[in-house]
Amino acid sequence: MRTTEPVPAGTTAIHRDSSQIIRFIPMGGLLLILVVLSAVVPYFLSVNNFVSILVQCSSLGLMAIGLTAVLITGGMDLSIPSLMSFSAVIGAIFMRSGGSPVIACVIMVLVATAGGCLNGFAVAYLRMIPFVVTLSTMAVFGGASIWVTNGMSVTGIPRGFITTVMHDIWIFPAPVVVLIVVAIIAHLFMTRSLYGRWLYAVGTNIRAARVSRIPAQGVLFGSYAFSGFVAGLAAIVTTAWLGTAGGTIGSEGVVLDVVSSAVLGGVSIYGGAGTALGAFVGAIFIKLISNTLNFVQASYYMTLVVKGIVIVAFVALDSMFRRRAGGTL
Amino acid sequence: MTAPSLVMTGIKKSFPGVKALKGVSFEAFPGESLAMIGANGAGKSTLMNILGGVVQPDEGQITIDGEETLIHSPSEAARLGIAFVHQELALMPTLSILDNMLISSFPTRNGLIDYDRGEVLCREALSRLGYEFNLRMQVRDLSPGDQQIVEIARTLLGKSRIVIFDEPTSSLTSREKERLFEIIRYLKSEGTTIIYITHLLDEIFTICEKAVILRNGEKVAQSAVKDLTRDGIVEKMIGSQEVVSYFQHHARQPGPVLLTVENFQREGYLDNINFSIHRGEVVGLWGLLGSGRTELFRAMMGLDQITGGRILIDMGRGARPIRPHSGKNPMGLVTEDRRTDGLLLPMSIRNNLSLANLRNFISRLWPFIARTREEAAANEYVRKLNIKSTSIEQRVATLSGGNQQKVVVGRWLQTSPLVFLMDEPTRGLDVEAKAELHSIISGLADSGAAVMFVSSDLDEIMSLSDRFLVMVRGRLVKELPRETTKHELLATASGMTGTMGGE
Repeated sequence: MRTTEPVPAGTTAIHRDSSQIIRFIPMGGLLLILVVLSAVVPYFLSVNNFVSILVQCSSLGLMAIGLTAVLITGGMDLSIPSLMSFSAVIGAIFMRSGGSPVIACVIMVLVATAGGCLNGFAVAYLRMIPFVVTLSTMAVFGGASIWVTNGMSVTGIPRGFITTVMHDIWIFPAPVVVLIVVAIIAHLFMTRSLYGRWLYAVGTNIRAARVSRIPAQGVLFGSYAFSGFVAGLAAIVTTAWLGTAGGTIGSEGVVLDVVSSAVLGGVSIYGGAGTALGAFVGAIFIKLISNTLNFVQASYYMTLVVKGIVIVAFVALDSMFRRRAGGTL
Repeated sequence: MTAPSLVMTGIKKSFPGVKALKGVSFEAFPGESLAMIGANGAGKSTLMNILGGVVQPDEGQITIDGEETLIHSPSEAARLGIAFVHQELALMPTLSILDNMLISSFPTRNGLIDYDRGEVLCREALSRLGYEFNLRMQVRDLSPGDQQIVEIARTLLGKSRIVIFDEPTSSLTSREKERLFEIIRYLKSEGTTIIYITHLLDEIFTICEKAVILRNGEKVAQSAVKDLTRDGIVEKMIGSQEVVSYFQHHARQPGPVLLTVENFQREGYLDNINFSIHRGEVVGLWGLLGSGRTELFRAMMGLDQITGGRILIDMGRGARPIRPHSGKNPMGLVTEDRRTDGLLLPMSIRNNLSLANLRNFISRLWPFIARTREEAAANEYVRKLNIKSTSIEQRVATLSGGNQQKVVVGRWLQTSPLVFLMDEPTRGLDVEAKAELHSIISGLADSGAAVMFVSSDLDEIMSLSDRFLVMVRGRLVKELPRETTKHELLATASGMTGTMGGE
């Protein structure tokens, strides 16, 4: 903390301000929506309702955290929801044919992680473009999950599985606890651990990272593997919550929700910035928007329009601040 | 006496927190080359960006050929006959020479591009400079020097009356530099006004008639070059401070052999390279652009795969082979372009300094970074290297070039490497920052490390090196002692003498 020479101090202050502003926009929006909803909707401010919102966004929140890791590296993972539905379908079929729920959970996580590794391998080692890779695997896994089930939902999931997964821990159902725990651990690892630092470094400037002996390929691979892993957790949660599994639980609408959660949570689509907790808040925000639009009986298609606009607006803000801050665009 | 072609009067410009220009006035005449001199941050770029229409002045007038004008955009500047030849080559690498030259003013016929006429125009512009290229060739296949020719020829298409050259020689070999000077002389003979921005004082004496010296946003002098001396310019640039004698030469006694490179081979880039470096010496790697200097460094670091050869390192227990990409490779590389492959620009000084050393801030049992140790190390190197900043949390994007470069050096210092590879470490830096880097390089060698560095600045490499290695087209052709003359170095690099090893 020393100054040898008067530095154009004003410049740094401004950079700091602008990066702060974008971080507070989702929080501010969230508060605004909360205020409006609590005034309009009876019982909105009840604990029960709060918990119910958290349950609703547990699957979305998990996937948004997975995407965050990938976005930080400057990548993109569109396949998360279809990977989630595919692994859910496989696990559900296993349980329907009498398999143990515990092994089913393991299967779901393994299948999804394997899918993530596939993405990671293609991006990191075959040097393919993330968008193309995950758009293709989105089609592959999404298609496979409908193909395997003939487009039907897989029913006959054991009650034991559902009650165990949805079991309350204190006042929170287990999915909410899983989400919060994953969010905190992921947040700490991303911001404080060696691997986390590498993640941001690779996303900010992969060439500089390589020169500094950071194993960039491994870092990239790891981020996709992680997003696959949390997609597996999301599969368990979703299957239990719905009581069924099917190809439609990872539809295009969900992809949009996952991406918008991360973007609203301050994760930069250009890489190098964002946190898991931010994505978590973004997921709550998206769920509240959906619920609000439901409440005013807007059609599904209108919610798509609104969410699409929200994404574009946030990405625009992000680029504006980046340019002002003299970042690399 | 002719009328000035360009007059800028009382130009003021502030950016948040900085007064970049505090009322600068100067004029330039047709057929004359005006040097724009100043340390980094003196306001040269801002002034030229105003002339180029990139930024708008807060106050002041611009008069071109006697007519007062406002320049709102780069395209307006182009219409007024102002052309900018940038320091970084600003061409589109995957487009053809033809497309690159015509891009801002495609001739059309019936709404379609008239390539036949375009080709004629481009050929004519190039031939005025004495060049002929295959116009369908992609620009990325040209050498940097030829790319610059294309860029200059492009300005001729627009019938530019004022051409601004921003550090035009920074990526050129000496022969290309000579060629550039010929072109500038030709442009002058046609009555073009040249504004020449540079840090290299020798060039000013070679090519410019007049000079404007800026310091802290103010003009401190404007005079004819023949009335100026080297020391006088430096003194005006840095103000009342003592003139740093930035070319000091002190003898060093090299220690035992530290590193040996054997039969290094990389298809198309490196051809059977053999050499050794001793502890405590500075080795200058000299060669023309594209001779494989950067490629050699990258191969030694394990950034590019080699197809043959090995590195031996003696870390006290005899020479042992080491894999270049292994984490145990005790080398640090300061890359040629700190912005594209050196720094994490939007991140803090602390983050940038610890980047190569993060492994040492964690323990086997606890995966999180020891923040206090990281901060202590960052503060230590900010102090040691005199990195001017408000705090270690300042973003490196907001630092000056010299301080940015010190951050890159400091990053490697933290890992205490035995061998420092530095690729053009002072490129684009001002006199003061250069002097500081020179003393850092000397200090490293004095402390027992080995430094191998590339510089296209002949004076710099002559004054810092204890020994020279010369590369020509991917081969190490000669080793020269410290007493070598400039002439000998230049001649060897152009492949005029015999070779060493590997035949």
